[in-house]
Amino acid sequence: MARYDVTLDRVGGPTRTIEVDEDETVLEASRRSGIPLPYGCRTGACGTCVGRLLAIEGAESGGGATDADGAPIDVADAFAYRREPRALKPRHRNDGYVLLCIARPRANSRVAVGSRVQTELVDNPWK
Amino acid sequence: MSDASTTDDVEPDHDHEHHHDHEGPGYSTPQAAIEESEREKLAYVMSLYVGTDVDEPDFVAVVDLDPESDTYCDIVDRIEMPNRGDELHHFGWNACSSSCHVEGLERRHLIVPGQRSSRLHVIDTKDRRNPELVEVIEPEEVFEYDLSAPHTVHCVPDGKILISMLGDADGELPGGFLELNDDFEIEGRWEPPGEIEMNYDYWYQPRQNVMVSTEWAAPKTYYPGFDLDDVENGEYGQRIHFWDWENGTVEQTIDLGEEGLIPLEVRFLHTPESTHGFVGAALSSNIFHFWREESAAPRAADEASGDEPRASGEYRVEKAIDFESREHDDWDMPVPGLTTDILLSMDDRYLFGSNWLHGEVWMYDVSDPANPRRADTLSVGGTFGEVQEVQGRELAAGPQMLQLSLDGERLYFTTSLFSSWDDQFYPEEAERGSVMLKADVDPRNGTMTLDEDFLVDWGECPAGPARAHEIRWPDGDCTSDVWQ
Repeated sequence: MARYDVTLDRVGGPTRTIEVDEDETVLEASRRSGIPLPYGCRTGACGTCVGRLLAIEGAESGGGATDADGAPIDVADAFAYRREPRALKPRHRNDGYVLLCIARPRANSRVAVGSRVQTELVDNPWK
Repeated sequence: MSDASTTDDVEPDHDHEHHHDHEGPGYSTPQAAIEESEREKLAYVMSLYVGTDVDEPDFVAVVDLDPESDTYCDIVDRIEMPNRGDELHHFGWNACSSSCHVEGLERRHLIVPGQRSSRLHVIDTKDRRNPELVEVIEPEEVFEYDLSAPHTVHCVPDGKILISMLGDADGELPGGFLELNDDFEIEGRWEPPGEIEMNYDYWYQPRQNVMVSTEWAAPKTYYPGFDLDDVENGEYGQRIHFWDWENGTVEQTIDLGEEGLIPLEVRFLHTPESTHGFVGAALSSNIFHFWREESAAPRAADEASGDEPRASGEYRVEKAIDFESREHDDWDMPVPGLTTDILLSMDDRYLFGSNWLHGEVWMYDVSDPANPRRADTLSVGGTFGEVQEVQGRELAAGPQMLQLSLDGERLYFTTSLFSSWDDQFYPEEAERGSVMLKADVDPRNGTMTLDEDFLVDWGECPAGPARAHEIRWPDGDCTSDVWQ
């Protein structure tokens, strides 16, 4: 079974790398590794566990998001979803957001995680 | 497990014309609740860490409200949930005054749902100060009924429990209702699936054979936060549904229009004979009054079916209170009040509510429900509140969930709405935590005064700042008891 390194770069916190089996989700692996991530529904509906993909090792370019060097990255190159990520809108998916409760790795990657990533999904519409 | 151990011995007689003995839990009438209850000395408050970086489960806080106690205003116990990620939100009792004639039932177990997790917890409050978690229904068991996102819990007559569920197993529409039996096992779906699309709060009046339910949105829509695009795309609710209580079917749906966007909390008057009630439209920041209007003419459907004509009539709705948006120098658009909670005093005289964004608790005289008269407003917290700190403690958000003493003289409120929505509108709440505040109410003169000696601070919880949401008293309150 393939295993991948997923580096969890907590916004405002430490960076830790965990090994994730190809058939387990990043959230499951994080719980197994004792590295907490926020989560809620565990079915891809609520977005509490959302991360933002920062980099993929050896990935082809695609999608609308870019990594730190400006190269486009595509969530589909890094993760396969166990079920549909309902909490994410097309704009979120294009911007590299990924639901870690249902995402299984397909490459080594680096992801911004933590509660502050969730707050990026929506703004205060009146302000 | 069951609180109804002796119900087998009780004659199942629910005919109010003939059987009115008070043998079970609660009070025989709303007036009896006012006269016979003692002052609230403890509160149970939903408290949460979901969605934060604090790696702790949500908990139920037990708050000391006895001014004679050394631990007044302290959280004296915390019942931690076994899992993280629940988002404890609204909760309810296994039995209330709707079972006041059922001997053997006790108001003892709290049903505590996780809004995000869809997990259902049962807490035994036999020891009021040190309750104990005794049962957990896991999400997978709930998903089997193609439901998720539990919200309002009411006990219903005969020891059963009904929970409004906002989505299907995938977090999409339609929602529905889940019924538990008196052993806290899932009995099944209460209604034929598909009666409604959206769901949120509900209240019932068994003597009128009616239930009313409201609409938030699909869980996948509101869970991540509030997006104006979703409103424009019609993803949020604006209708209320009147149900045949015995059949579990929708009899009438009323579209409140744009003035009724996101109808959340709904309350019938406590008087069990009444058909009047109120619903707060959170986004439009309006309060609607509804009532049943009887008509002499039989309905067309009755005539067409050839059935015996029934007593005809239908529910009517009228906007009764309109809160205007306010301009703010630092905001691009006028700020709506966001009327997120309402409650009726036990004597049905006053309607209280909270405008979470504006930072207001308001009080209207609804002696004539069709013509609410503003009694008083308290300006505290929120975006415009005149009082922005209590005892030197800066407030992070506006008044939100309300609870009133049974005698109508003390109004308590907390400040968290929903974790992801809090983060949008009041990001400071994640850093400072919620508070619980209290206003002293003078029902005779229709006034409220903030009690600045009262402060419960969730910012000082051992694991870090927590949010505080719905409040309940151990012996019944103005947002849980229904009379059969």
